[in-house]
Amino acid sequence: MTQAMTQLGFTQEAFDALLQARDEPAWLQEIRRESWQKYQQFDWPARDEEEWFRTDIRMFKLDKFNLPLEQNSIDNMPTGLLCDGLELGGQSISLDGYSAHSELSADLASKGILFGSLAGLVKTHGDILRPHIERQIVDRDTDKFSALNAACWSGGHVLYVPRGVVVKEPLHVLSVLSNGGADLGKTLVILEDGAEATLLTETESESDTAEGLHCGTMEIVLGTDAHLRYVSLQDWSPRVWHFAHQKAIVGRDSTLQWTMAAMGSRLAKVNQHVALAGEGAQTQVNGVLFTEGKQHLSYHTLQHHEQPSCRSDFLYKSALQDKSRTVWRGMIKVDAEAQRTDGYQRNDNMLLSNSARADSIPGLEIEADDVRCTHGSTTGQVDDELIFYAMCRGFTRKEAIRAIVIGFFQQIFDRITIESVRDALGDAIARRVREYD
Amino acid sequence: MAEFIKVAKVTDIPNPGKQMLEVDDRLVVLFHVGDVFYCVDDVCTHDGGPLGDGELVDGTIACPRHGAQFDIKTGEALCMPATENTIVHQVKVDGDDVLVQINDE
Repeated sequence: MTQAMTQLGFTQEAFDALLQARDEPAWLQEIRRESWQKYQQFDWPARDEEEWFRTDIRMFKLDKFNLPLEQNSIDNMPTGLLCDGLELGGQSISLDGYSAHSELSADLASKGILFGSLAGLVKTHGDILRPHIERQIVDRDTDKFSALNAACWSGGHVLYVPRGVVVKEPLHVLSVLSNGGADLGKTLVILEDGAEATLLTETESESDTAEGLHCGTMEIVLGTDAHLRYVSLQDWSPRVWHFAHQKAIVGRDSTLQWTMAAMGSRLAKVNQHVALAGEGAQTQVNGVLFTEGKQHLSYHTLQHHEQPSCRSDFLYKSALQDKSRTVWRGMIKVDAEAQRTDGYQRNDNMLLSNSARADSIPGLEIEADDVRCTHGSTTGQVDDELIFYAMCRGFTRKEAIRAIVIGFFQQIFDRITIESVRDALGDAIARRVREYD
Repeated sequence: MAEFIKVAKVTDIPNPGKQMLEVDDRLVVLFHVGDVFYCVDDVCTHDGGPLGDGELVDGTIACPRHGAQFDIKTGEALCMPATENTIVHQVKVDGDDVLVQINDE
């Protein structure tokens, strides 16, 4: 492909070139064409929409980027933080959405597990993946970004675990963005009835100064009595625009433990939606946000109780440095038939500078009458007495603040069952804590 | 210290008038009042509202969301709900050109 072909922006010409370049089933190309039409019909989000009221994307210019039309390569491929010292069952790495490396142990492959590049596996195992792609777990009609991803996803990852198969070794996914690159990845995780797995995903940029765009989707489907432990780390460079729609559908008596940490990007706008779609489903979502500089991270969560006797527990904690800002909007939605719901959501914010700002907007929308739903939010600064106490014990001021910040997040780290992952997240945050007067 | 960047022609902005601009990866509002130009961040310090969409009256700009007002010369927050000043950028006129120096606080 010529250089000119890769510099077409997000034009009709670029979309046509994408379709032509991809050797994929006709049904998938039809979905792409329909989604492209939707994308063209959507306006960019208006600033007076409640969801975008606090998130200013006027400086985001899509035409600065190009639809990734071919495999890219970089000299120094990052390796990620989460898999050090772990015995993995498989690993899938992408660059600008295109698969750069994929492996799965022979033992797991023999059990019928699919893991690796979505673009590749949709061609070889379309019979399994097609229904999940066609059902649009993330609704492409949500906004311009969801439609863009549905039309133009260039790659991404997939994990499929068949009925009754238990995967003991963690599986690792790393998505890398090159400088100036765009990643329109689509990640699909399917656990059939009785299946069990642990998935680690993380994102990283080519360098700390690399610009980029990520417009992605994450889709999770758990059948009956399936169990997924999922840890995700968003660690793009602070010059990356990050837009993501994430949705999990949790089936009857299934459990989803989702721990996410977000430290990167210039601006992040993430919609995280967990649908408790089967009686007795349970989810625990733990969020860690750490921001610095002028980063703006905006997370919008929805815990949707669609069926009776489900339990959801969302806990988000943010620590903010410099002039950074976080926005958290959380909603517990309980349908009329979802009796005996137990829903909880909480957002705690720690402001490490006088110029940081955290907006916290919890919400409840309850149509059933036999429920227990609670929510809470706290925002405060580091307690000077704690710093004084730690310094009396020989800590420097910076060490004291670092220990307090790590302690603030400890409640979430304690919920991560893989020790090395817990340590990696803690270390990554500790390295970024600066000293404040 | 950032350099002065040419952002407009003197005749581009009516007197009195205002224009939202992107300068050095930042959104600012340039005002033209009584043959003098002023420039502030396009950010209401109350909740991030776009000051460029607000009403300019007697040297003050009002945020269209909740009515906070700022002095366009000094950036001073003049009334609730804003309590923090917005950032002011240096402006100079060179012939027909208006130049802005971004204050990267």
